[in-house]
Amino acid sequence: MEGLDLESVIERARSHDADALAEIYRRYVRRVFGLCRYMLESRESAEDATSEVFLRLRRSIESYDGSIPFPRWLLRVAGNECIDALRRQRRGRRVIVEVEDRGTAVEAPSAESSPLSVVMRKEERLDVRDAIARLPENYRLPLVLRYYSELSYEEIAQQLDLQRNHVAALIFRAKQELRRKLAHRSK
Amino acid sequence: MNCYSEQVCAIFVDRELAVHEARRLRDHLVTCPRCRGMVDALRAENRVLGESLRELPEEAVLGFPRSRLSWVWGDVAASAAVLALMSILSVWVDKLRIPEALEWLNPFSTNGVTNLIFNLSYYFAHGGTAMLADYAAVVGGIFLLLGIGALVLGRRWRLHHPVFHLLIVLLLLSLPSFALERRHADFVAVAADETVDDSLLAAGNTVRVEGVVNGDLLAFCRNLEVRGNVKGDLVSFAKRTVVSGTVEGRIYNFSQSLDLNGQLGHSIYGWVQSLRVDNRAKVGEGIVVGGGDVSLEGEVKRSATIFAGNVDVSGTIGRDLAMAGGSLTLTNAARVNGNLSARVRQLKDVHIADGAIVAGKRDIQVRVRQSPFTRPRFYFHQAVWLAATMLVGWLGLALFPGFFQACSRAVGAGWRSLGLGVGVLAGVPIVIIVAAITLVGIPASLMLLAGYLAAIYMAKIWVGAFLGRIILKPSGVTKRDWLLGLLVGVLILTIVGFVPYLGGLVRLAVICLGLGAFAWQAYWVSRTATTA
Repeated sequence: MEGLDLESVIERARSHDADALAEIYRRYVRRVFGLCRYMLESRESAEDATSEVFLRLRRSIESYDGSIPFPRWLLRVAGNECIDALRRQRRGRRVIVEVEDRGTAVEAPSAESSPLSVVMRKEERLDVRDAIARLPENYRLPLVLRYYSELSYEEIAQQLDLQRNHVAALIFRAKQELRRKLAHRSK
Repeated sequence: MNCYSEQVCAIFVDRELAVHEARRLRDHLVTCPRCRGMVDALRAENRVLGESLRELPEEAVLGFPRSRLSWVWGDVAASAAVLALMSILSVWVDKLRIPEALEWLNPFSTNGVTNLIFNLSYYFAHGGTAMLADYAAVVGGIFLLLGIGALVLGRRWRLHHPVFHLLIVLLLLSLPSFALERRHADFVAVAADETVDDSLLAAGNTVRVEGVVNGDLLAFCRNLEVRGNVKGDLVSFAKRTVVSGTVEGRIYNFSQSLDLNGQLGHSIYGWVQSLRVDNRAKVGEGIVVGGGDVSLEGEVKRSATIFAGNVDVSGTIGRDLAMAGGSLTLTNAARVNGNLSARVRQLKDVHIADGAIVAGKRDIQVRVRQSPFTRPRFYFHQAVWLAATMLVGWLGLALFPGFFQACSRAVGAGWRSLGLGVGVLAGVPIVIIVAAITLVGIPASLMLLAGYLAAIYMAKIWVGAFLGRIILKPSGVTKRDWLLGLLVGVLILTIVGFVPYLGGLVRLAVICLGLGAFAWQAYWVSRTATTA
């Protein structure tokens, strides 16, 4: 099963083949867990959400139509699971409540607001991850869904029950907040 | 032409800008070096973000599920504590006036004596005392570590372990100020339209909860039926427990049989002869139990760790299934979403139906009795324990030379030490529990517990030193002679401890002798102190 291409594995998994489902688990469990860990507060909740994703995969894989790459689809499912988990924690309320639109004014260029530099050593990337983990939830969720799950603004908007332009604004502000955190760190 | 804002550039870089807007921006970039620089920098930033995120957090790299070592220790500690508490309680219960309904729980009743003899001999023959000694060693080790690295440990100390929950529940229940409703009758019922706002302590022949208990439920009875809702934890000492309603907390089970048909918010911990999780049942977290027959037909959201004679699974387990015991059966309907690990005596005792699904690894090991001696790890482990014993012995000798040497000499009193030791081994837990019932007594009981476990650990040091002295017959009484004697003695005790059947009894005798010698010596020291 290990050498088999992804398409065949998925095809078998659709017919509830246990080995194929196990193979998908083996290949993607870390990526799914990574997403859950970025999105949820605790390791326990991330483990629960990951379990839930693979527990339901037996059924949910039937709805996969091949229109998008499988990893992206799986991460979308996982993202949904995390948001459901967050909603459950908040007893059904929306995860990201309100977004005030600050428009698209040109920000004054400063050391803090300029994009992150290209060259990043490994330990600096650790700093980036750390800073992302410390972002407020309304910034962290869209950012992770965009750059980890590689979802489109539209997909993120659907998941978070927001308008598309709000998603764009949140991602933009998340990056600015991230730059600010990293600039403070290096000072 | 006006330059574009950074946000528009960012949306463009994310390929989310409308087609015609994107075309206009692309045209603008040809002529505007400032915006081109901005777009390049934003692209680089996206790359950094993607790469940083995809290098998963450290804990994810460690593997999923979490490393086995931590849960093994956690679960072993939980099971050991449950076992210890149960034995302590059963002795304690015997000292009290027990209602007839609870007579089955009494190990010293006419009916219980035969069972007890068989159980004890089985327990000792299968290394029961070794476990007790190891448990004491672990606790002793923890105290040592606490002393050395209190700061490091202090920061990481988290009180969310199930054992702490149980202790907290029991301690809270024992406080006089705690809002606790007590009901004692032959038939105790919480009617369907009734709500008990406090925790409920129910004792009787049959306890039936059809309404709501907002706190914890602690039940001592023959039959316990939970058809309603218990918002807190359920601690059951019933002979038969049936949960067809909802328990939102945990179940700590000390009953003979437990049937779960309803919903459980957290986990089941305990010791049970027969556990059945019905196909309508849902366990919100995991299961850690030891027992005779375990049948899982419902859904367990996290892992199940089971030490049992027979384990039948035809439900769903969200994560790992780890079992050790007699036989394991997974039917066609079984689904284990994580790894399956089983320790059985014979491979033919494991039946996994073709339709059963195990998403992770299957690790089935056959326990061969002699196997530990063939593994180098075993010798390494023993060497570490021996070194730790020597270290503790040396520390004790350096700090309290007179007391340690006197303790090892007191072992020589033979029957006196043995008899006194048996009394201390059985009696101190009762004192601890009785002391803990009152608010003032809690610190004293905790200190006594610490001293008790430390003394169990050190028993082999005093007996070992005494044995070594008999064998070596040194001419002097220097510390070097004492330590050499200790090494020889402990080595002999360790080796004898591995002799089948006899080893368990020897370990028990060593614990009793050592405890007796310690108690005698402690008595002498306190008497001298008071007369002086």
